[in-house]
Amino acid sequence: MQYTTFNRKTFDPLKEPMFFGETVNVARYDQQKYPIFEQLIEKQLSFFWRPEEVDLSKDRKDFQDLADHEQHIFLSNLKYQTLLDSIQGRSPNVALLPVCSLPELETWIETWAFSETIHSRSYTHIIRNIKADPSEVFDDIVKNEEIQKRADSVSKYYDHFIEYMNIYIMHGVGTHEINGEKITISSFELKKRLYLCLMSINVLEAIRFYVSFACSFAFAERALMEGNAKVIKLIARDEALHLTGTQHMLNIMASGQDDQEMAQVAEECKAEATAIFVEAAEQEKQWAEYLFKDGSMIGLNKDILSQYVEYITTIRMQAIGLTSPFDVKSNPLPWMNAWLVSDNVQVAPQESEISSYLVGQVDSEVSADDFDDFDL
Amino acid sequence: MAIYVPKSKPILDSLEDHDIRIEYQCRQGYCGACRVKLVEGRVEYDEPPLAFLQEGEIVTCCSKAITDIKLERPI
Repeated sequence: MQYTTFNRKTFDPLKEPMFFGETVNVARYDQQKYPIFEQLIEKQLSFFWRPEEVDLSKDRKDFQDLADHEQHIFLSNLKYQTLLDSIQGRSPNVALLPVCSLPELETWIETWAFSETIHSRSYTHIIRNIKADPSEVFDDIVKNEEIQKRADSVSKYYDHFIEYMNIYIMHGVGTHEINGEKITISSFELKKRLYLCLMSINVLEAIRFYVSFACSFAFAERALMEGNAKVIKLIARDEALHLTGTQHMLNIMASGQDDQEMAQVAEECKAEATAIFVEAAEQEKQWAEYLFKDGSMIGLNKDILSQYVEYITTIRMQAIGLTSPFDVKSNPLPWMNAWLVSDNVQVAPQESEISSYLVGQVDSEVSADDFDDFDL
Repeated sequence: MAIYVPKSKPILDSLEDHDIRIEYQCRQGYCGACRVKLVEGRVEYDEPPLAFLQEGEIVTCCSKAITDIKLERPI
């Protein structure tokens, strides 16, 4: 099937599957097959923020006064976050847009990826504030071996799907000869690679990011790098929405309501899906070793962070019906949640701002029984 | 463990009043962190939550009990 940016056929978009159906033509938001994606778009738009809104002036001195090993923890964590959002600001678009068949899902993907670019801009804002030469930090993301290991594990499911998908959109399903090589594109394999890719995206948002948030907030618990913590609160607010988005996508797929074959894929991929979560958890624990190699800090060390990794992995697996092998039943970082609650984010020391704008909140429909419980 | 849960308050608030700690984040119904299983009874929401919920689950941050309820922790 030849890709086109504006499908000329007449068809009912409410009957298309999320992926691999007709390519989208009109972007319309008055009707949706899956209203959840429209609601997520509205919510994400209402969360829009600019990094420059956050005052980072105290962080500069805080960072200079940190011990060497604490600067290592802070910068390594920041480099990892920069890597994750670099990937997230482009990959959902590159991987998912060419094969998306619903306008509300297409725009959710774009809105989601756009918000990740705001996160990337916020890391530049933070790094500029604490380093005279930001390149020292940015360049190390590609050079540093430990960070490269993370890049490999985070990008592999995306790349694995994109490679196959590119051949699919050029040549369709079947066996093709490309550069002298015979390559078979099967519908099942395509959907399997997509499913596992989405699973690994969910892991990235729901686990990897949250482990990095724990490090950021551990500084703030000591009243250090609090500007950074405000930025992270705003990022966390977005990520909660994103992980809800991937959970819904995975569930729609697994239920078969959208595509019968996808339900079969989900069933057969249960073990692999579990393995993606467990493997990520092991990597995060290894990363914790690197973070704290020169020393730990008050409130956070390799062991506590590893416990948190197991705890958050269990929570996120349970949320989508997978069974976790870990045994941690309570949150070893009880102070995390107080930082994550983000409805009221004070961006400057003297200001307090309600962070979610009400969008489309007035329902002007009045029905006959609306005043039934009204007493004069 | 049985506690009194007033109809006017989100269930999560009431649980916390009794030192029962449930995971939470957004407290607005879109993140799903505060999900629990609703084993018995009925709850209502001011607005349907955006969080992904499996069959029989509720988010406690913005749901209110309208009958006696029985909850089960997810883990």
